[in-house]
Amino acid sequence: MNVTMKNQSTPLAEAKPRIRVVDADVHHNIRDKSDLYPYLASIERKRLEEHGIPRNTSLYQANGGWKGARADTFDAGEEVDPRSNFDMFQKKLLDACSVDVAILQVESTPSLVALADIDYSAALIRAINDWSLEHWVARDARYRLSLTIPMQDPAMAVKEIERLGGHPAVIAAYVVCGSPRLYGKREFDPIYAACIDHGLALSLHFSNEGFGMNPPPTAAGFPSYYGETYLIRPQFYQAHLSSFLFEGTFEKFPKLKVVCCESGFGWVPAFRWRADMAWKELRWQTPWIKRLPSEYLEEHVRFTTQPFEESEPPGAVDEIVGWMNGAKTLLYSSDFPHWDFDPPESIPSRFGLHVRRQILAENALSTYPKLAGLAGA
Amino acid sequence: MPTAHPLCKVSEMPPGSRKLVTIGGRDIGVFRLEDGRFFGLRNRCPHRGAPLCAGRLMGLVTAERPYQLVRQREGEILRCPWHGWEFDLTTGRSVFMPEGVRVKSYPVRVQDAPEPAVDKFDVTESEGIVVLWIE
Repeated sequence: MNVTMKNQSTPLAEAKPRIRVVDADVHHNIRDKSDLYPYLASIERKRLEEHGIPRNTSLYQANGGWKGARADTFDAGEEVDPRSNFDMFQKKLLDACSVDVAILQVESTPSLVALADIDYSAALIRAINDWSLEHWVARDARYRLSLTIPMQDPAMAVKEIERLGGHPAVIAAYVVCGSPRLYGKREFDPIYAACIDHGLALSLHFSNEGFGMNPPPTAAGFPSYYGETYLIRPQFYQAHLSSFLFEGTFEKFPKLKVVCCESGFGWVPAFRWRADMAWKELRWQTPWIKRLPSEYLEEHVRFTTQPFEESEPPGAVDEIVGWMNGAKTLLYSSDFPHWDFDPPESIPSRFGLHVRRQILAENALSTYPKLAGLAGA
Repeated sequence: MPTAHPLCKVSEMPPGSRKLVTIGGRDIGVFRLEDGRFFGLRNRCPHRGAPLCAGRLMGLVTAERPYQLVRQREGEILRCPWHGWEFDLTTGRSVFMPEGVRVKSYPVRVQDAPEPAVDKFDVTESEGIVVLWIE
């Protein structure tokens, strides 16, 4: 395997030079819909006042933790959503976990990108992006923003990237897996071109499967329980990654980086092997794929660690990390303040200092073009 | 040899309340159930080190057969605030694997006039003292 597993235990605090921590998946949110009023034209504001932001979680009416969040993050009381508590984030994520860079992916995005009325959707998305920059990013230099884009309309998505993609703290475009169309389809190409022009990675996160205009989350419809949706997430990513690979997206966009957030990574080695097998056998049907799919995946695709695999025996996950070259392809994420939060210590000390540093920070610095300047800092 | 650690007067812990204490470097949560009983549990989840005692109390939910939900022992199950692992407050044992996964539990008793150390609570009436025992 590629990973050197030294039998050493180095507490993060004692590591020298100190391991930098980049958290690739953090979920903030507005406290109330009125937070967006200043960023909306009057007609959109009136519509929001009257109808509010649609909730996309009604399918299951269930989640983990307490209301989907860590039960110990309701610092401002039961009625204040921890996702909207800026001070609590500083204390319990940035300070408590020594996070140097936290990449914000706003909680409301799935609801906003599920709207069929593209103009209203785009207006709300512009508002929440502006609000995020002003009320979170501008108030703490450790934050970066993964920019919500109206993926359901590629032309509008490009417009949003052109509007804010040049902001130094905007480092990725934030896209959810639920979609009427697979993301390798050529209609999405202008979005990837715009991402590269503005130095953005593409951050892919599950959500919206089966919601709004989207097809059911499985080939056989809708699961009954929230726990099932937890288990089936890898297939959302497998579908989009297969599409990227076989449509030739990475041939068309050699600089494109895709980050797959929050669906584990234990499935990645088998997916790589199978992709290589399919390419060898069926190569003539898609000859624009010049290299082994596993090579494209290793160059272009990253996986966030949370929720970190709990293998049995525990050391089995070390093999998986080796098989997928996790020393290069894994990015640490906490998912704060969600209930299935992983602290930086979730990256096992037995991985050794080098691999932990790669996963906790260095890989992120070489994935998001705008973070490259922090390398070696 | 077990050592007694007086914590407070009983009236300072009404039913349904909880208290975090640190004794000998150990963070321990002391709970008083609605029915008046007291229990102590180490404030560290064996899964990923979360502050376990910040979790929600719930009942024990079981089902003899699929879909036939039964909820009992209301308030005796502590659900970790992070990943939701459930622990039996009365024993420290996990619900999903009682033999293999558990958290240290401590006896908590109400005593009339235990050690001289309780002087600090200024017990003027015959009120009980909440005492945590560490073995």
